[in-house]
Amino acid sequence: MATSVGSKFLDLDNGPDSTLLHRELNWLIQDSLGEGEPATLSCAASASSSGSTSSKKVVKLRTCLDDLYRLWKERIEDRRPFQYLVGCEHWRDLVLSVEEGVLIPRPETELIVDFVEDVLAENYGDGLKEGLWADLGTGSGALAIAIGRILGCNGRVIATDLSPVAVAVTEYNVKRYCLQDKVKVKQGSWFEPLEESEVELGGIVSNPPYIPSDNIAGLQAEVSKHEPILALDGGANGMKDLLHLCNGAASMLRPGGFFAFETNGEQQSQFLAGYMESELGGRLVDIKIESDLAGIPRFVKGFKAR
Amino acid sequence: MASSVFWKSWIRIGSDLVVVPPYNRFSWRCCCYRTARWYKQPNCLAATGNNKINFCAKPSWVTSLSNDIWWGNSDSRRCCGSNVNGSTNGNYKSDYLRISDEELMSQCEMDTFKASGPGGQHRNKRESAVRLKHTPTGIIAQAVEDRSQHKNRASALSRLRTLIALKVRNPVELDAYVPPQELLQILPASSTLRGSRSGPQIGPNNPKYVLGLQALLDLIFAVNGSIKDAAVMLGLSTGALSRLILSDDSLRMAVNEFRASKSMKPLK
Ligand SMILES: C[S@@+](CC[C@H](N)C(=O)[O-])C[C@H]1O[C@@H](n2cnc3c(N)ncnc32)[C@H](O)[C@@H]1O
Repeated sequence: MATSVGSKFLDLDNGPDSTLLHRELNWLIQDSLGEGEPATLSCAASASSSGSTSSKKVVKLRTCLDDLYRLWKERIEDRRPFQYLVGCEHWRDLVLSVEEGVLIPRPETELIVDFVEDVLAENYGDGLKEGLWADLGTGSGALAIAIGRILGCNGRVIATDLSPVAVAVTEYNVKRYCLQDKVKVKQGSWFEPLEESEVELGGIVSNPPYIPSDNIAGLQAEVSKHEPILALDGGANGMKDLLHLCNGAASMLRPGGFFAFETNGEQQSQFLAGYMESELGGRLVDIKIESDLAGIPRFVKGFKAR
Repeated sequence: MASSVFWKSWIRIGSDLVVVPPYNRFSWRCCCYRTARWYKQPNCLAATGNNKINFCAKPSWVTSLSNDIWWGNSDSRRCCGSNVNGSTNGNYKSDYLRISDEELMSQCEMDTFKASGPGGQHRNKRESAVRLKHTPTGIIAQAVEDRSQHKNRASALSRLRTLIALKVRNPVELDAYVPPQELLQILPASSTLRGSRSGPQIGPNNPKYVLGLQALLDLIFAVNGSIKDAAVMLGLSTGALSRLILSDDSLRMAVNEFRASKSMKPLK
């Protein structure tokens, strides 16, 4: 089934080709194996190719084969994302629960945690490590959880999202990582759920919806048909939420506080950086554009002036 | 190629397994046990100089161990068959294996594979492959098989350490040779040079293994590929040293490649 796809999806909408699908299939099998089973089955395959008869193995599955087959059929026929099939995504060193209604965290976003790590290492004296952080539009809770794990014992994270599904999934993930004391999840729009006592933020991170509305229909089917539009659509030029967050950061960060936002790419990054420099009266400083690992200028980060 | 391997494993399960269906939909917990796995495990990737990702059925990511061998010290750079170091960059400090991950990373260029299109929210394709190029030596290590970029980076880095051990050669003073402690640690207990200080024998899963691996290859190169001579220096029988070499695929291949360049028979 995976092989027959060939490059059909790739040509159609830049979707997955056979190679990627086979990799996913392997992961699907890994995830369905019982506890203590060998983590990869390629040993069985290589043993059989060397003609050994002892390669017959009895493995325990966590689910029945018919279910696996049905799931895989959904993958190919409905283009249902692999991560929704297995209910999780591997992201940094985390395994996060995901389901329809919440965005599957992207590898690019992993880098934001690296930026925070760097800042915490450098600014130890500023107490950012023990400060209050916000992850706005938290989705599955990826950034909030990863940051919660690297803050000091007094450091806290507030994760907000407008979507009730995202809030529920984040709460579940926070519990899985035993971070209930560190990460507070609140439903509401961007900064709104923050209380009066929570306006002096040490750091703000966000990966808000940034895709221009016109582009949504042309996305690969896995994204456009299955992921929540609320997580993707950034308005006419994709910058609606980013601009709101910039303005918010300028007022909600405490002096010396850090921010990092993900954007759609070079155009948005440059626009945002320019906007921060010229329109915010010097309240945000040290503004830098960072590229993702594919070389696309992806992030804008900086500090609140002291 | 990759396809057929995965495909076969799928079929195999289909025909051979006993199904125990404890859950009707497996939850995410089933993934947890693998979290740390790729940090240790050498994998199915060839370390190559180009951007192509090669899957293989068995761990053989050093199959294409290229012909460049780097000499850790410019004065002692020598030619060995096809393994010529054509560098003009002068002195190479070869303590790459002793530095921290952060320092080693800082000597590397890192990129991901040409992702077509805009990436980010646009895309659901787990091509979180990471490629590291170690600029001082030009050695390239990459990892693609994991689902997170972070872990692919960790895998690529540990793979880079192994490749450095395999490819960066340090000159060895053969008169009055004393094996370094790291080398003693990877030797079997039968070595007469192993003192109580050496502790139990460590294998490829131990992060210190690469240091021993490098020192062993340095010695084998210094004695021109003679296992017998190297064994004497290490207080081992020739058989015991051969077994050690054969127990590690990448080590065996590096030794045999070198022996081939000297027109010697491969170890089997
Ligand atoms: C691109 S997703 C990012 C999710 C997660 N931070 C990540 O990186 O995987 C954007 C998130 O913003 C949320 N969102 C959209 N509009 C919002 C609003 N007005 N207030 C708060 N969150 C919002 C969406 O529900 C979605 O979870």
